[in-house]
Amino acid sequence: MSVETMVAETPQVDDRARAPRNKALDWLRTNAAWVLGLDVLIVIAFTIASPGHVFWSAGNFQALALGGTQALILAMALAMMLGAGQFDLSIGANLVLCSVVAARVIQAMAGAPDAQGNFSSSTGPFVVGFVAAMATGLLFGLVNGAIIAYLNVNSLIATLGTLGIGTGLAFVIGRGGDIGGLPNGLQTHFTSQLILGVPAPAVVGLLLMVLVWATLKFTVFGTNTLAIGSSRTAAARAGIRVQRQIVHLAMFAGACAAIAAFIDISRYASTAINGHNQDGLAALTAVVIGGTLLEGGKVDVIGALFGTVLAVVLLNGLIIIDVPPYYQLVATGAVLVLAVAVDQFRSGRRERG
Amino acid sequence: MTTAGDGVRSKVVLRPKVAIAGHHMAKSFGHVNALTDANVTVESGKVVALLGDNGAGKSTFLKCLLGIEKPSSGTLVIADQETTLDTVRDAQRLGVDCIHQDLALAPALSVVDNMFLGHQVRHRGVRGRLGVVARREMSERAAAALEELSIRLPSLSVPVSDLSGGQRQAVAVARAVMWSSTAVLMDEPTAALGARQSEIVCELMRTVAARGLGVLVVSHDLPRVLKVADRVAILWRGETVVETEAAGLTVPDVVATMVGYRKAVA
Repeated sequence: MSVETMVAETPQVDDRARAPRNKALDWLRTNAAWVLGLDVLIVIAFTIASPGHVFWSAGNFQALALGGTQALILAMALAMMLGAGQFDLSIGANLVLCSVVAARVIQAMAGAPDAQGNFSSSTGPFVVGFVAAMATGLLFGLVNGAIIAYLNVNSLIATLGTLGIGTGLAFVIGRGGDIGGLPNGLQTHFTSQLILGVPAPAVVGLLLMVLVWATLKFTVFGTNTLAIGSSRTAAARAGIRVQRQIVHLAMFAGACAAIAAFIDISRYASTAINGHNQDGLAALTAVVIGGTLLEGGKVDVIGALFGTVLAVVLLNGLIIIDVPPYYQLVATGAVLVLAVAVDQFRSGRRERG
Repeated sequence: MTTAGDGVRSKVVLRPKVAIAGHHMAKSFGHVNALTDANVTVESGKVVALLGDNGAGKSTFLKCLLGIEKPSSGTLVIADQETTLDTVRDAQRLGVDCIHQDLALAPALSVVDNMFLGHQVRHRGVRGRLGVVARREMSERAAAALEELSIRLPSLSVPVSDLSGGQRQAVAVARAVMWSSTAVLMDEPTAALGARQSEIVCELMRTVAARGLGVLVVSHDLPRVLKVADRVAILWRGETVVETEAAGLTVPDVVATMVGYRKAVA
């Protein structure tokens, strides 16, 4: 019997694995859909519970957009890293280090304020400050990536280490504390600019989100990232330069930290070294709640957005309805754990191959 | 990363006589001499089975033929040319690909993305320079490559983790065939499969050889592999003790040689 007839007569590889069903129906079963539902519920709850329903106001939404933007940018960094199965817990430390470097540069270039406390209106210092922040963030990322990829240190441990290093260096550059009193031009030129009614930083954050989504979905870089997260051996055997890719991803996370750092000092005209200890974990949580696998290989960018919204709205809403700060911490943590637990229960049958 | 045009090759190609061969290969790790005198010759269009007991050096030999390990001595011939390999990429460049025992698929990625892993086709123009993949073209070419091997899958956009073991194996075979123009090496391709799926993979070996590629298969599934192979090479403690036609060999003879009970079959 010839090969051709053997092949023709024998039933080929069985086809019991199903083809994808209706995409819309499939989406309703994802974490993103479930977290979006939760988002809507807590927005309704806070609107009803807040005095004079102030939660549902343009002013509050703008405040939410600004706070959410920083969280979203860091979440995007973590989403890319997790795509390759890598963590970056140091991203909050990178953020504060970038912000103190930028603050120092801006202070040095803007000089002292005049008698009325006004700075010269030049935008030069801000541009150079941003470049300095970006350089710091990229360098920090490069170090993270090199430690993970070339020294073969587990990314959790590596970035736990650089978390300490970054925070320490930030205090050194800040001479033991925050750098305040930065020129208010930062706000007028950036933070309080509205683009179609949306604060400029939020537009930056949303553009970044679209960039991450498109990169993962449509590009060689994105496919290679997910391949590494799904099976590092398979990626390496297919000729993907795994180490270089991990370094690039860590540098991307560093760039995100720098952007978030610039937004941070723009909002408050001051650094906040102690305000970002939990940022790495918070971003990780937001991304994972949204359906991104901790093990790597699968990233849900829209889910990460909804997960970020959940965390930010929860914090903001609890402040508005005047829950004492200690309970806010408890409530935020509890909801996050609950969200993940419910998701685990819901998708407990999920098998991974 | 490749540009459009290669991958699915035209069928009228001048084939080398010898697709891949290793002569007198030796390899030692520290004090262990994994290979002492390993030989195998795979001609184009033939299926050769590389057999041996556990520890005989089959995997090491395969790695030396693929550029994963560098042999301490011996010569490597690919497509009639004597050559040396430093990396897996060198082997790929010479048209040699391998199906690893663990398949080396990325389970979270789709069938198409897996088949083009490391070989993604980019769009032309600006989008291509931004690294945007031409997924439609990739899908069409993946479908054509699967079709040529008569492999049918429910969908090429499902993640590989949704496929059955046999389907995954088929994807791995199709991928290796798609990117190799000289020889395909298979490491225990039926180890994880049931009876019917194993038959299908053996048929794929014949189909691949019929396309003019050399096929070298390492397997413990003796009855099946003796049926499918043209020639057999048996390794024993790092040396090839027998290299002969498969026709007429019986499983007991081969086993006796594999364990060193007899030096020659036939």
